[in-house]
Amino acid sequence: MKLQMSENLNTLDKIYQGMYIAVLIILAVMLFACLIRAVKGPRIADRIVAVNMMGTMVMVMIAVLSLLLKEGFLIDICLIYALVSFLAVTVISKVYIGVYAEKRQALNPEAEEESAEGNKEGDDLLGNS
Amino acid sequence: MICLEILEWVKLVIGGALIICGLIIFLIELYGIFHFRYVLNRMHAAAMGDTLGISVSLVGLMIFSGFNFTTLKMMLIVIFLWFASPVSSHLLARLEFTTNENLKSHCQVYKNLADLEKEIKQEREKEAGGEEK
Repeated sequence: MKLQMSENLNTLDKIYQGMYIAVLIILAVMLFACLIRAVKGPRIADRIVAVNMMGTMVMVMIAVLSLLLKEGFLIDICLIYALVSFLAVTVISKVYIGVYAEKRQALNPEAEEESAEGNKEGDDLLGNS
Repeated sequence: MICLEILEWVKLVIGGALIICGLIIFLIELYGIFHFRYVLNRMHAAAMGDTLGISVSLVGLMIFSGFNFTTLKMMLIVIFLWFASPVSSHLLARLEFTTNENLKSHCQVYKNLADLEKEIKQEREKEAGGEEK
């Protein structure tokens, strides 16, 4: 019975490894499809959304890798990647809003008054103008 | 001993089903990214698909991993992403809103909240009046 159990464990192990590799391949193909949207997207927010999606898929891939290779420390990398990707999106948004406001102010002050009235809700949402 | 074996197979089936569900959610999100024609719509698909997809996938992986320290770290990732992913999507929507010159061609823009509430109230009254007739 011991031999039978170890054989079953071997098949179980092979099934696990096969499943992990299949998941990794599917996620890799989806990653490339996201890259197409990042290159194609007409606006900036398109690209940031695509990169955020790629980061999330990479997080799942790292977690699957950690179970495939049976190394415990790869999950720490996944956690840090989650934190960094969230921080990156936040910082890029804030910086770009600031750059845009600066450009708008520098170019033409008259047109800024007109567009400021139209965009008043945007300023209120920001909390600072 | 046989009970242990059955438990292993049950673990495989449930965890595998959850991971496959997570992959399907990611596929739907990917399709949504290409289907819609404006950023804010795409962001809607991306935000919900991201959060749910990664949570379901990581719960499936937690079941695969068993009672481990790795499982605890995965749970931490799920909790953090549940809170952080919608916040980052909100910031992206704010970015798109403030930097788009001709936003009126894509969606309705109201100057203050009172206008929108008034319009919703009017629509509701019209519907109630129509039902009474």
